[in-house]
Amino acid sequence: MLRPKSLGKDHYGALLLLALGAGVLALGLGYRTGSLNHMGAGFIPVVLGALMMLVGVAIGVTAAAPGREMTNPLPGHGTHAGGPEWRGWLCILGGVVAFVVLGRYGGLLPATFASVFVSALGDRNSTVKGSALLAGALVVFCLIVFHYGLSLQLPLFQWG
Amino acid sequence: MHQSLIDLWYGFGVALQPSNFMWSVFGVLIGNLIGVLPGMGALTTISMLLPLTYVIAPVPAILMLAGIFYGSQYGGAIGAILLNLPSHPPHAVTCLDGYPMTKAGRGGAALGITMMASFFAASVGIIVMIFLSPLLVEIAFKFGPSEICSIMLLGLLAGATMSRGSPLKGVAMTIFGLLCGVVGTDVISGTMRYTFELPDLADGVELGALCMGLFGIADFLVSVNRTTVKASDAKVSMKDMRPTRAELKQAFWPMVRGTMVGTLFGAMPGTGPTITTFIAYALERKIAKDPSRFGKGAIEGVAAPEASAHSKTQVDFIPTLSLGIPGDAVMALILGALIIKGIQPGPQLITEHPDIFWGLVASFWIGNVLLVILNVPMIGVWVRMLQVPYKFLYPAALFFICVGVYSTKNSLFDVGEVAVFGIIGAIFLSLDFPVSPIVLGFVLGPMLEENFRRAMLLSRGDLTVFLTRPISAWFIGACTLLILAQVVAYVRKLRFTPKLREPAELIAE
Repeated sequence: MLRPKSLGKDHYGALLLLALGAGVLALGLGYRTGSLNHMGAGFIPVVLGALMMLVGVAIGVTAAAPGREMTNPLPGHGTHAGGPEWRGWLCILGGVVAFVVLGRYGGLLPATFASVFVSALGDRNSTVKGSALLAGALVVFCLIVFHYGLSLQLPLFQWG
Repeated sequence: MHQSLIDLWYGFGVALQPSNFMWSVFGVLIGNLIGVLPGMGALTTISMLLPLTYVIAPVPAILMLAGIFYGSQYGGAIGAILLNLPSHPPHAVTCLDGYPMTKAGRGGAALGITMMASFFAASVGIIVMIFLSPLLVEIAFKFGPSEICSIMLLGLLAGATMSRGSPLKGVAMTIFGLLCGVVGTDVISGTMRYTFELPDLADGVELGALCMGLFGIADFLVSVNRTTVKASDAKVSMKDMRPTRAELKQAFWPMVRGTMVGTLFGAMPGTGPTITTFIAYALERKIAKDPSRFGKGAIEGVAAPEASAHSKTQVDFIPTLSLGIPGDAVMALILGALIIKGIQPGPQLITEHPDIFWGLVASFWIGNVLLVILNVPMIGVWVRMLQVPYKFLYPAALFFICVGVYSTKNSLFDVGEVAVFGIIGAIFLSLDFPVSPIVLGFVLGPMLEENFRRAMLLSRGDLTVFLTRPISAWFIGACTLLILAQVVAYVRKLRFTPKLREPAELIAE
C-alpha cells in the first residue's frame, strides 16, 4: 500500500489531537482549577487536555518512523479506495437533521418519512421510487409500533 | 460453594419468571437477528434498544441487554462464515477459515461446530462466573476511593492499549471519552463545563446518543457506497449443520483451548474480545502439526476463536458487575444502563441486588440453550437475512436510531447529538482511531473523577497515597507493566521485522 510519506493519516490524527487538547486546555483554565488538595471544576479537564496534547505529540513523533503504520483494518472496514463520498455523507447527516427539524415543526410521521427517504437517497444504487417505498413502509411501521404500540411522546402531525 | 449453588437456584427462579423470561427471549432473538445483518454488531443493537430499557424494570432490562449481546455474537458468526463478512470485529478471525469451509461446501458444518463451541465455552464461562464473583467481591469490599481510582486506571489503560490497532491511538480515544464524560454540570462545584451555553448539555452528553453516533451513524458514513455487496450462494439447511465424526474430533481440543484462552483474558479488565480471538487462533496455528492448513478451511480455526469469544463474553461480566469496571465497550454500555436504572455496580451489587446478579447468571444459560434451539431450525431464515441489501438496511437503522434516542428523554436535541457524534466518529474512524475506547472513558469518566477527588481530599493532596496503600499499589504496578510492555513491543517492532505474520496482517490482505 502506497501512501504519501509527507503527511499520513497519523500526522493528521496527531494534529487533530493537538488542536483538541489545546482547546480543552484553554477552556479548562477558565474554570477554577484549585490545588490537588481542593480540586476545582477545571482541574481534571486541564489535566486531560494536557494529556491529550501529549499523546498527540507522541503519535506525531512515532508516525515518522519508517515502515511502521498504525493501521489494522478489518475486511470491509478501513481499506477503502476512492474519493470523498459527498452524496452519501450529506444524505445520511441530512436524514438525521431532517428528523430533528421535522420532528419539531412537522410531527412524527413527516419526520419519519423524511429521515428514511433522505438517507436512503445516499446510496448510489437507490432510486427515488424505491426510497419513497421504503420510507412509506417505515411510516406505517412507525405508526403501528411506536405510536400505538409504545405510545411515543411525539404528535403524529403538528405545526410550529 | 454450597451457597453459590443455592443462589444459582434462586437465580433460575428469577430468570424463569414470565416477564423476565420474555424479555430475555426477546433480547436473544433480536440480538441474533440483528447480529446476522451485515454491519450491525452487538454495540449497534444494544444502543438501538437501550431506550427500551428505560420503560421496563431493571431485572428484565439487564437480562434483555445481555441476551442481545450474546445473541448477536451467535448471529455475527453466521455472516463471517457464510459471507466472509465480519459484522463484529471479533469474528474477523473466524472468516479466515470459516469462509473457505463455506466455499468447500462445509459451511453448514462450520456453523454447527461454532454453535457447539459457543455453547460449551459459554457454559464454562458461566461456571467460572458463579464461583469467582463472590471471591472477587470479598476483596472488592476492602476498596477505598484510591483503590477504585487505580483499578479504573488499569481498566482504562488495558482497554486502550490492548484493543485493536495502535495503543497510542487507543489512549487518545480513552482521553476523548473521559472528556465527553466531563461535559455538563460539575457535581461538586455546580460549574457548567464545556456546555457552550447550551442548557440541554447541562446534564451531560446522553449515553445513547454518543453510542449511536459513534457506532451507528459513523459506521454508515464510512461504509455508504463502499461496501461491496456479495450475494451468498451458500444454501444451508438443518441437515448440513451436523459435522462429521472426524470434524468433531478435530474440533474438540481447539474448542477447549479456545475456551481457556477466553476465560483467562475475560478475567483481565480491559482486554477486548477481538484480541482474545486473535490469540486463540494464533495459538491453534502455532501448535498445529500442519500450520499451512490454516486459512484454507481448517475447522480448528473456527472452533477455537469462537469458543474464546463466548467464554470471554461471559467472564467479562465478572469485573463489570462485581467491581464496576467494564472490560470493553459493550460492557460499558451495560454498566451505563445499570447506572441509569439507579443501580450502582460494584461489590455491593451482588448482596444488594441478588435478583439482578443471579438472575443474569441463570438467564445466560437459558439464553444459550435457546440460541442453540433457535439457530438450528432458523438457519435458513438467517441465510436469507444476509441478503438484505445495505441500501434498505441503513436508512431503516438510521430511523430506529433517531426514534430510539428521541424516546429516551423526549428530546430532539439528543437526536442532534447523534449527528455530531456521527461526524466525530467518522473522522476518527477514517484516521484509523478505534472508537470503542471512547465509550469506556465516557462511562468511567465521572466515577473516576469523583473517586480521584475524594481520594485527594482524604489524603490532603498527597499523590503517593496510590502507592502507599497496598492493593492500590498492585494495580499501579500492573499499569506500569502494561505501559512498559507496550514500549518494549514498540522498540522491538522498530528493530526487527516480524517473521511470522500475524492474523491481523492476513486479514488486511
